[in-house]
Amino acid sequence: MRKIVVPGELLSDKSPRGKDIIIENGKAYATVMGVYDDQKNSFVPLEGPWYPQSDDLVIGIVEEAKLTTSIVDMNSLYKGLLISKYSDTNMESGDIVEAIVRDVDETRTAVLQRPRKLFGGKIIDVKPTKVHRILGREDTMIRQIEQSTGATIKIGMNGRIWIKGGDVALASKAILQIEEEAHTSGLTERINKMLTEGKNNK
Amino acid sequence: MTRVDMVKGAYILEMLSSNVREEQRGFKDYRKIRIDKDFIPHAEGSAKVKIGETDVLVGVKLGLDKPMPDKPEEGNLMVTAELLPLASTNYEAGPPSPESIEFARVVDRGIRAAGIVDTKSLFIEEEKVWTVFVDMYVLNYDGNLFDAGTLACMAALMHTKMPRYEDENVIREGNLSRLKFGNVVTSCTSAKIRNKILLDPNGLEESVMDARLTIANDEGAVRAMQKGLKGAFTAKEVDSLIEEAFEKSKELRNILNNIGD
Amino acid sequence: MSNPANKPELIVNGKRLDGRGLDELRPIKITSSVLKNAAGSSFIEWGNNKIMAAVNGPREALPKHTQDPDKAVIKCRYSMSPFSSIEEHGSSRPSRRSQEISKVIREVFENVAMLDYFPGGEIEIFVEVLQSDGGTRAAGITAASVAMADAGIPMRDLPYALSVGRVGDTLITDMNKIEDNYSDADIPMAVCPRNDEILLLQMDGTLKRGEFGQVFEKIKNAGKVISKLQTDALKEPYINIMKKYGGL
Repeated sequence: MRKIVVPGELLSDKSPRGKDIIIENGKAYATVMGVYDDQKNSFVPLEGPWYPQSDDLVIGIVEEAKLTTSIVDMNSLYKGLLISKYSDTNMESGDIVEAIVRDVDETRTAVLQRPRKLFGGKIIDVKPTKVHRILGREDTMIRQIEQSTGATIKIGMNGRIWIKGGDVALASKAILQIEEEAHTSGLTERINKMLTEGKNNK
Repeated sequence: MTRVDMVKGAYILEMLSSNVREEQRGFKDYRKIRIDKDFIPHAEGSAKVKIGETDVLVGVKLGLDKPMPDKPEEGNLMVTAELLPLASTNYEAGPPSPESIEFARVVDRGIRAAGIVDTKSLFIEEEKVWTVFVDMYVLNYDGNLFDAGTLACMAALMHTKMPRYEDENVIREGNLSRLKFGNVVTSCTSAKIRNKILLDPNGLEESVMDARLTIANDEGAVRAMQKGLKGAFTAKEVDSLIEEAFEKSKELRNILNNIGD
Repeated sequence: MSNPANKPELIVNGKRLDGRGLDELRPIKITSSVLKNAAGSSFIEWGNNKIMAAVNGPREALPKHTQDPDKAVIKCRYSMSPFSSIEEHGSSRPSRRSQEISKVIREVFENVAMLDYFPGGEIEIFVEVLQSDGGTRAAGITAASVAMADAGIPMRDLPYALSVGRVGDTLITDMNKIEDNYSDADIPMAVCPRNDEILLLQMDGTLKRGEFGQVFEKIKNAGKVISKLQTDALKEPYINIMKKYGGL
């Protein structure tokens, strides 16, 4: 059985693991809203912040560009830091950038590497907990949206998404629908249907 | 306006260059308007207005006061605005910002100039009048506060109960008459972005607008105008926006007149 | 504030002025995710109280001197609209009362939120009382709890709050404004439902020696109802979508 749980709700005695769970007196409790599956003893958070990890792809906006370093807004408590020795791209404030987290230090800074500038396009912010579902298993969901809409889409683990070209409106509509319905079954079919209908209505 | 807002807003410019607005909205269309009247039964009058995701609550209270020295036989009207910090991460708690003062004063001017509240009817006796406090509370910001605020003030004032003053007591409950009002004013706000003009800008559109023009009018006349930001309008543009306001205000008055008693 | 000479009979034949029984809560309705711009929000209608709560963060605490290098700080603003009361027009500027309430609300969430996950960060809690009728701090905390969960701020529990009062020799649950004005004691509390820890406790009036146990029993009993309403408000939007499309 899958059930929606709230902070403080008992999960099980055979504690699942995860950052969003606390153990007290041998019992596991959720700390954020999520879906608990008692057969798999798994917990998937529905709400909650993004905790950056090495190799996460992020989409950010350069807030402040200096000669040797640039500070990147990632819609997060964490700031991205681009150090020019890891990149030969010159940054300017206001640039949209796609980059990889190299490592994270205790001062809420994620050092970024391999930055690429993105030009133009639409930016939307979604809940970071829903990013995996938007990507789909082995990125199948997002490929499908790109194919159907002709848009190029970049998805940051920080929940920031960049869309350009093709039918941007349909692509962002599909993404927002996945965000809303991420915890349901049959989502792939519904999104496919919605994309087909959206195309035919043009 | 933060840098992130401006970068996000840049997509609006991209769309406008091919003559498209978000959600395929026409350049002279309002977003969906929803009015909840009497939202705060404790107040003498109240209404909550949503234009798209912009959400403004207005509460009206009447209180005993002294008249202004230059108008000894008239009551007072006071319109204020609070941009609540929960409405936008760009709003901060504390003393009113220039933006919130401008917002309150523009709405105030439209209501005052159109004679919405008959201040002579607020006179009680020598040295004793009613003050009508109209407080606008912005709960969520997504552009065009001016039109939402004016609509909410109107919807609240049109259904405001008049307290009674009896034996030195203010009676606010029971069988009360309505505040006297004789006119309906609405406002239409347009944004100028590059060389395009669009009605009812949302938050993202406001983040990239060069200039803004608010026109408040009743059936007969323009009652207040306010141009904002550093961009400019031509006289021709202003002229056609005034025409547009007269046309659009029919829709808005219609909504106001159909929210029931 | 209230002239004792005008004191109405608050309890007649076991019923209160508004027809409630001694331990009966006012009708309570909670809706979550009501504001688009806030990370988390909720709207609570508790009797005639109408309160909007919203939460933002965690983000970098600014100005910098407010940062704590070990954990996030909570900033809380409880405020009352000038049109909230059935009486005179009020001031929305922070009063001593609203500043004290902001502080005790903040302390409730400093207990339950996992602040050490976010060193240097800040979490903002806003409690805007749009209409008031007694018990706004309790209703505000109850709503803020829902807004915190809606914002995804990790918490070890979902606190609820309410107040018990005493009229003469009788304890009553959840006082409205008139009862509050003429009661002999008002005891608002915020409690963790999981282990009954008390996170907020205030009192004013007269509490008899040995009476606190009874007060707390009443809090816990009514608290079960409030807890359920909070949980339902959070789960409902998700469950409705699951009912529509499957996944349960």
